[in-house]
Amino acid sequence: MAEEELTVYVVDDDEAIRMSLSRALTTRGYRVDVHASAASFLTAFNPDRYGCLVLDYGMPEMNGLELQAHLNKIGSDLPVIFITGHGGVPESVQAIKGGAVDFLEKPFRQAALIERIDAALEIARRQQAARQAGQQRREMFNRLTARELEIVERIVERPAETSSKEIAAYLGISPRTVDHHRARILEKLGLRSIIELIAIARQ
Amino acid sequence: MKTSLGLLLAIGLAGLQFLAVLVVVSSSYVTSEQALIRHARDLLSDVGAGTIEHARSFLSPAEGAAELAARLAQNRVIASDDPDQLEQLLFQHLLIAPHFAGIYYGGENGDFVMVMRAPEGPGAFQTKVITHENGVRKVELIWRTTGFREVKRELDPDDPYDPRTRPWYQMARDQRNTIWTDPYIFFTSQHPGITLAAPVRESGQSTRNDRVVRGVIGVDIEISRISDFLAGLKIGTHGRAFILNSNGDVIAHPDKELLRIRKDDGSLRFSHLAELDDPIARAAFGGLLSDGQVHVAEETKTQFTYNGARYVGTVMPMGSKRLPWTIAVYAPEDDFTSVIKENRKDNILIAALVAVITGVSGLALAHYIHKPVRAFAIRSALISQGEVAPNAPMPRTYQELERANEALVQQIAARRQAEHEYGRTFELSSLGMAQLASHCGAFLRVNPRFTEITGYTAEELQGLTMADLGTGDVSVIWPVQADGRRDFAVNRDLRLLRKTGESIWVSVNGNLIRDGNGNALHVMLTIDDITATREKEARIEQLNRDLSHLARINTMGQMATGLAHELNQPLTAIAQNADTALLLSNLEDSDGTELRVVLQEIERQSLRAGQIIHALRTFIRKDEGARVGFDIGELIDQTLHLLQAELADTGVLIDRHLPVDLPQAWGNRVQLAQVMVNLLRNAIEALAAEEDSERRILLAATASSGEITIMVQDNGPGMPANLSPFTQYETTKRGGMGLGLSICKSMVETNGGRIWYESAPGRGSTFRFTVPCTPIDREGGKGEA
Repeated sequence: MAEEELTVYVVDDDEAIRMSLSRALTTRGYRVDVHASAASFLTAFNPDRYGCLVLDYGMPEMNGLELQAHLNKIGSDLPVIFITGHGGVPESVQAIKGGAVDFLEKPFRQAALIERIDAALEIARRQQAARQAGQQRREMFNRLTARELEIVERIVERPAETSSKEIAAYLGISPRTVDHHRARILEKLGLRSIIELIAIARQ
Repeated sequence: MKTSLGLLLAIGLAGLQFLAVLVVVSSSYVTSEQALIRHARDLLSDVGAGTIEHARSFLSPAEGAAELAARLAQNRVIASDDPDQLEQLLFQHLLIAPHFAGIYYGGENGDFVMVMRAPEGPGAFQTKVITHENGVRKVELIWRTTGFREVKRELDPDDPYDPRTRPWYQMARDQRNTIWTDPYIFFTSQHPGITLAAPVRESGQSTRNDRVVRGVIGVDIEISRISDFLAGLKIGTHGRAFILNSNGDVIAHPDKELLRIRKDDGSLRFSHLAELDDPIARAAFGGLLSDGQVHVAEETKTQFTYNGARYVGTVMPMGSKRLPWTIAVYAPEDDFTSVIKENRKDNILIAALVAVITGVSGLALAHYIHKPVRAFAIRSALISQGEVAPNAPMPRTYQELERANEALVQQIAARRQAEHEYGRTFELSSLGMAQLASHCGAFLRVNPRFTEITGYTAEELQGLTMADLGTGDVSVIWPVQADGRRDFAVNRDLRLLRKTGESIWVSVNGNLIRDGNGNALHVMLTIDDITATREKEARIEQLNRDLSHLARINTMGQMATGLAHELNQPLTAIAQNADTALLLSNLEDSDGTELRVVLQEIERQSLRAGQIIHALRTFIRKDEGARVGFDIGELIDQTLHLLQAELADTGVLIDRHLPVDLPQAWGNRVQLAQVMVNLLRNAIEALAAEEDSERRILLAATASSGEITIMVQDNGPGMPANLSPFTQYETTKRGGMGLGLSICKSMVETNGGRIWYESAPGRGSTFRFTVPCTPIDREGGKGEA
């Protein structure tokens, strides 16, 4: 599975800032998508595409904080870097609580921004990777039978009661049958021990 | 008094009297004259009628006599061939008719008997008898006395007379009727006369168809007696009547001598009217003639002028076919009217006399009437000059004058009261008051307050004018305009120099006072020292400016965060672009094009930052108070720059509607910017309080009738109806002081505009204010500060 190219989204109502950031980031080799308003960004935004958002705090209609809240609501984990002219403590606290990667006060050095962008993109990359790994596991778990899944869920739920006897008592089947299922599960998932299974299932 | 009342009365009375008498005299004269002339005409008519009557009665006996004789002869009572009998008959007739000159009978055989008066002969009567006995013609003349006694008898064989050849004989025989001949002058007596002839027919013949004339009886009548009658008539003094025959001959006239004219052969004939030696008659009746004949059908009255005198005349026909005569009468009018003409002269003289007497009495009467009036006039004059007390006893006078006196006394008392009060007002007035000469502006009279204000004494001010108290500009605005023809009024503030050299401000009010006839009397001037008021005003103005400045600084404080953000935007762009430029300059494959674009962007953003700072500085700048013409659109943009951050933070959208052809506005830029910032911030704050709604502000400007109207409209919650936002300390804002809009109002009004709003809860607020397009003189006629 190839790693998709990451995008730096820029949302600012000030054209001069949009243009300057777009130009700077493009020159530095980033893939940039600029928007003048939150609404414009939301229309174009695809949650399956990874990257980061450079978001102006004060904007007409939907401001930066509101956009962040909206993204959280729709389940997007897009890393957000706030840029603001206000630089007030209450605003920055709120932004960070909302999950912002960072909060830059205008005017800022480009190097500082690039640093934050790179950091955010790293997060995005990890997100992407984790998501790909999760995907593989989901595919593996899909190979399990219903009884086998039932047993995995019981194990993950009660890691302290993983003996075949205990599970058999829970399910009302023979311990030997449980042993058989356990072997089949480890085989199907390519795992060597129940400990490993619990770790994977909890990711 | 221009004309003496007495003289007027005298002349008036005399003139009226004279006129009245004159009118009566003229009227009665005219009436009398007409009556007299009418009377004269009647008189002439009567004379004519009398004359006719007289002529008839004069001539009719002859007719009777002749016809009687003819009948006697005809019926053979008297044998016509018996000359003795005939003579006796004729003699008797002649005797009883004194105006008969002769009476005679001529027979067909040539016999002739005539008895005639012979006053110059031996007897009173003469008889001529022509007989033909046995073919022998015998002519015998006999003279007799009145008693028919023969006096003398002789034969006259030489007399060739034959009656049958005479006209009277032939006419009577031919017409077989009684005829009158035309009047003629008798040959023997040389008197005018007329002959009547009656035919004597054969007796025994009953039918008239076959009348054989045996002879003719003739009567000679002397008509001098008619002239005598006419001469005896009294027709006025100079009036005359005369008789015309139809052929124009004058056959009777008061002056008998005029009747006869001797012909060349020594015989006599009548004067024709045209040759009558009576020019008045010719002038009066010459017009009656046509072809020498007289034709008058009826009585005709005439009036004519001869030789300057006026005459009346009357002509009337005799009214007898056998006597075709016309009676003509004339008389001068003067005969009738001279008496009243005389009387008229007397009357006029009497009128003049009466007029003179009336005039004299009028003078006396006028004097009597006028004396108290004059005394009253003199007294009134004295009272008005104050030399006599109004309640001093009146001289002898009339009731009417006494009433006039009462009114006068009351008037004078009221006027003195008014003058007294005016004088007190003038002296005690808290305003400086002065009377100026209307022609030169010099001070005539000043009150104490005036001297107090100017520092000059009343004596020092004598002869000075306002210009002398001025500080230069006074002479320009205080020329002596009150030349008495034009109205003059001044109402303005002036700077004056007191005597001490101290400069003060006074408000001056001056008016030209005229008398009842519109003549200029003087200029009334009031002045008031307004120096303190002026200083107070200036201080208040300064305080206002300071307050508005403080309010602005306060506003800026509130806006500082936002403004910092607004300034950060271009700075951010510049920082990013600068880094990019650095990056680009290090890249070896860069051709420099992109680098230039980036640098240009840096420049642009630097300028943008500069503009924000400029707007800021303009806004904060200490108000100079100067009003200038400026572009209102530019000011609106600058204002929006200042508010950009707040707009962005609150997410408020601005709809900006500015026509491209807006005229220049005129006013204090800073103050008007402050007004706009205030209104916009109020709108932003009102909108920020609203949750989950579209936040919009409509900012529009329109120009009409010399001013620009700026509108700030929000779709916010609106204001409660009971709020007076322009009043100080009224506010809806938590933490607001309620000063913003009251300062806005005073600033808009200071700049010559108005500010108002519409608002209702739930429907937003709309504020509008106006800015004039041209300078307005807010201070009116007041002097410059």
